Amino acid sequence: MTNIDELINRLAQDAATVKRAPHPFLLSIEWIAGAVFYLAAALMIFGTRNDLWPEFHKPWFIAEIAALSGVFISTSLSAALLSYPDLHQKRRFAFVPIAALALFVLVMLFAWRADDPSTPLPVHTYECTRSIVLLSLLPAAWMFYVMRRFASTHYYWAGSIAFLFAFSVGALWERFHEQNRSIVHVIEWHYLPMIGFGIIGMWLGKMVLKW
Amino acid sequence: MTDTADNLEALMRRSLAGDQRAYAALLQATSRLLRPFLARRLSFTNEVDDLLQEILISIHKARHTYDGNRPFKPWVYAIARFRLRDHLRAHYSDQLHHAGDLSEMEEYLHEDVTEPAISYESISGEVQKLPEKQATILRLMHQDGYTAKEVAEKIGMKESAVKVAAHRAYKVLRHKLTR
Repeated sequence: MTNIDELINRLAQDAATVKRAPHPFLLSIEWIAGAVFYLAAALMIFGTRNDLWPEFHKPWFIAEIAALSGVFISTSLSAALLSYPDLHQKRRFAFVPIAALALFVLVMLFAWRADDPSTPLPVHTYECTRSIVLLSLLPAAWMFYVMRRFASTHYYWAGSIAFLFAFSVGALWERFHEQNRSIVHVIEWHYLPMIGFGIIGMWLGKMVLKW
Repeated sequence: MTDTADNLEALMRRSLAGDQRAYAALLQATSRLLRPFLARRLSFTNEVDDLLQEILISIHKARHTYDGNRPFKPWVYAIARFRLRDHLRAHYSDQLHHAGDLSEMEEYLHEDVTEPAISYESISGEVQKLPEKQATILRLMHQDGYTAKEVAEKIGMKESAVKVAAHRAYKVLRHKLTR
């Protein structure tokens, strides 16, 4: 009997009824629902900005939030698919965050150009990044915990996309919480660090999601 | 072809329900499916066997991610490619790690494997205990008299890879013979 036959016999003896992993769409909806609940709770605890309602009458603010929500939803879907070895044979959906991020960059570019004369920068700087990071830690940990139970064959991308999802939650919270109209500040201290953390997520993906 | 694929999916569904015989049959069929895939990409039989075992274990670990409704082959090949990539990455990074010693080895490789009093025949027993790749290289170089370059051409490897493998084999042999 060869080594392969022996291994097969051993593995077969270990076979028992297996609880199948949920469908990635369901997993994605679970993550979105959990994150929305977390976002609502964080806003209830820390409060919303005073001018939130008037801001929702500005087209570029609506466009920014819509594009950021697009990143949030698409990264959740992509992270769910990337948790499966074969991307659940829905490869096209896994690439949706690229389009969402491109749209987001475009919106921010137009919002920046529309900010004329540019709104003065707020006094604070890195405090926003720090708040976003702190608020994103829990969703990021949750994502990685769940994803570890699957079998990603693209752990770099899975880690990066999971981080982008978690940080988009933090960035949404920051936009609803902090009274700030400077688009330059928002790009510099909210969104550029978010992209940077996406890159850190690659490294973390390799560390945590390797199996 | 479709029948085979249908069979694999049916076997996997039964395996997920805890049917041990179906699972054994599925793993046998999968190893038959993957062996030529790996053999085309790797040079040595022992490498193919080692990696095939790793892939079967990975399939076992990840079987809960297959739902029984989508095609089985893309799922299994995704795992096989993933493990193959990992294997090749480790293999080449190992080679890069040893590449730094190549210049130092150049002198060393022209020397005899052992003291002049020790012939290849006298240590061939130890050589046979080495991994298949290393044993083949040593046999070709020291029994058949081929140069590293000729061995590389003969077995479809790079010359530097042959030298690295030979160097490792020398180290193992030296360690064994000086004990």
